[in-house]
Amino acid sequence: MTSVSGYVGASSSITAEDVPALYEGAKFYSPAVGDSNKTSINSWLAGLLDRNGPVPLLRVESLPPETPCVSVCVIGSGSAMSDLPPAGDEFELAVRQIERLQQITFGAIYPLAAATISALVAVVTAAQLRVPLLDADGMGRAFALIHHTAMHLSGVSPTPLAAVGPTGESVLIEVPAGPRADRMLRANVDTVGGWAALAAYPTTAGVLRRAALPGTMSRIANVGRLLLDRTDPDRLVTRLGAITGCRRLARGRIAELEHLSRPSDVTIPAHPSSLVVDEVGGLGRQLRIELRSEIVAVFADGALIAGAPDLMCLLDVSRGTLATLDSLEPGDLIDVLVTPADAVWYSPAGIEMVGMGSHGIPLVHPRRR
Amino acid sequence: MPAQGDDVAQIGVTLRPHRAYAAVVHGATVRAVEPVAPARTDLEGVIAAAVGVALRAAPGGAGAVTVDLAPLLLDTLVRPEAEVPPVAAVRIVPRAATDPALARSPAELVERRIARRWTVSGGHDLLGNELAPLDGEGLALLCEELAGTGIRHVAVVAAGSQARPAHEREVADAVLAAVPGARISVASDYGGQGLVARETTVVLDCALTALTERVLDRCERTLARLPGSLELRVARGDGGYSTPSRIRVTPVVAFGATEALELCGAAHLAGLDDCRVLLTHDGRALAGEVRHGLAAVRPDEPAGIGTELVVPTAVLTPEPPARPGDDVPVIRPREGPSLLACVGAAISRPASWLDEVAFIESGAELDRVRRDAEERATAMVMANGAAPGTTHVAEISTVAVPYSPSGTVRVRVRVAGLPDTSLARR
Repeated sequence: MTSVSGYVGASSSITAEDVPALYEGAKFYSPAVGDSNKTSINSWLAGLLDRNGPVPLLRVESLPPETPCVSVCVIGSGSAMSDLPPAGDEFELAVRQIERLQQITFGAIYPLAAATISALVAVVTAAQLRVPLLDADGMGRAFALIHHTAMHLSGVSPTPLAAVGPTGESVLIEVPAGPRADRMLRANVDTVGGWAALAAYPTTAGVLRRAALPGTMSRIANVGRLLLDRTDPDRLVTRLGAITGCRRLARGRIAELEHLSRPSDVTIPAHPSSLVVDEVGGLGRQLRIELRSEIVAVFADGALIAGAPDLMCLLDVSRGTLATLDSLEPGDLIDVLVTPADAVWYSPAGIEMVGMGSHGIPLVHPRRR
Repeated sequence: MPAQGDDVAQIGVTLRPHRAYAAVVHGATVRAVEPVAPARTDLEGVIAAAVGVALRAAPGGAGAVTVDLAPLLLDTLVRPEAEVPPVAAVRIVPRAATDPALARSPAELVERRIARRWTVSGGHDLLGNELAPLDGEGLALLCEELAGTGIRHVAVVAAGSQARPAHEREVADAVLAAVPGARISVASDYGGQGLVARETTVVLDCALTALTERVLDRCERTLARLPGSLELRVARGDGGYSTPSRIRVTPVVAFGATEALELCGAAHLAGLDDCRVLLTHDGRALAGEVRHGLAAVRPDEPAGIGTELVVPTAVLTPEPPARPGDDVPVIRPREGPSLLACVGAAISRPASWLDEVAFIESGAELDRVRRDAEERATAMVMANGAAPGTTHVAEISTVAVPYSPSGTVRVRVRVAGLPDTSLARR
């Protein structure tokens, strides 16, 4: 293992004790899927960290620039992964496939997205391979497609990539243009059970210094610690705001869930649906929240007040926890939160790739008015 | 025929490890039952005392006794020395776990009830597409080994069995042939999400069978000795009730009922259908909600278990110090938790819950999927004791499953009804 100094606030590594905070923080940056496999995933990762020791968490700059690095993530559905959990070797096998193809040994792992379960499996993979984890990722939240990354915007190819399913079956993909890779992968992912372990964007630490988003793993750990505190929602939002820039758009009760509410582009997972929320107190507005796999836009009395690439999430006020998109119910009292995404996503290329227009909502982003 | 109508009182009973508590509810009047010595405070004594109170409170005496088994069930699970039958767990997935943590339950309380585990290759995806054929040789070996262990309680869970239970049923049939009289619980009976949560549900189902049978036998013997025609009901985790015969085959459904009953009991005493209830448990301030007279519930991790279940329960959350903008009344009941649970049990209604994944390509198909789910949940609530024509859909939600193929939806339906009083003991 590379012997260099690490960094995550005052800590330089991830231990079993950090796992609950990582889980909660990762959910904040992609509150799509509920907790039906939370204890299992956390137990798996904590067990690995206990057996193999803490995983060093390093700034990209602390590695020699020629160090080979590869990203990992879960591609596909968290619900599918919950019902068909990993055997345990999928992520390691995916990385090994690229190593064999390129005849190299990776010196560090980084998450394709420091969000949702993908953040945790990056730690799993680093622990299994006994290499450091980079405190950086490609999205700073979760986007729907694998080329929706800062690396892609910097010209780094996602391929060669390997995907290993829970069935043990795998695919290796090489394409000349990044966006083709996702389309080729989706059909395979559905075939192997709805999710797969993905290893992609093999590159070097030197390239990642300019192409990846820094500090995103330590950020989810810090956010997760706040969420674990289970304080009252108002104080929680204030605290989250201090480290993420998030703010509350409104508080209200879910009145209605609508499906197929916008024209569907089937190349993006999850069909469009909408949430109608009656604001409680405040201006008494009616909110309309447009959903895909993430929240893509929020309207108040018909006026756009937030939209992708902003990170929008819902806080279940009654329970003091994040409300995931697969478990919403009419009657739930929620806070609608908005957090600015990393700056790269507000560039013209970023907005074009992951902005509201990519979800069929061709409106000017509120931050650009 | 049982006593019915406004002249009849209802009895709620909660069974704690060392004694039972009861309350009699007649209209807006609630009477806590306190057996007077030499009467006993066990199940038999408390029910007998409650029937006596009901006879004095209402001209028609008692109509039904609804029993909350949950505290007894949890106490049995958490005590390692408690007599619980050993359980065999069978997972049907394309391949076995390579990491020990993924091969077992994350909850020690659950894992210690599992005497032996097998993995058989097979399973489907969430939409019912086969991922691997069922491994016939592996199944034959499992049956041979199981027959030699003496284990008679078998929990079976297959990936994707909510959508296509064929592999689970094939394994169950083979196990029953190899071990005649085996008590088998299959995960497809419960729906829900997550292999580990589904496995936990059927393992607890198996582990709780013998105790549930014994307690319900005692309840039925007690009611048979008492005057009148009393109906026995069993409280469910969602705050509704089911028939004893249903709970005998699905005992895990009774797990975690107490919290939901406390919430409903508190709302009833306050005369509210919609409210936020603040409770104190072991010195901790907790909160829950009641909506339209039903406790807000969902599949979650019940207190004391250490992992998730797929049967819904009212999970209480730490009470925040204040919550500006509350749009429902907030109540802090003065009554103790036992009385609240008894009142909640006495006023409970038959209920059912359904949680599954479907695939739609149009609005019309979504309507059909919702109608189908509502009809099946309605059939379930009738089986749980609802009178024909009294059922209604209390909650329904359909959400797109994130990061799944476009058209994949999760459907959850909760149906409640009014009691069918013809179900009482003849």
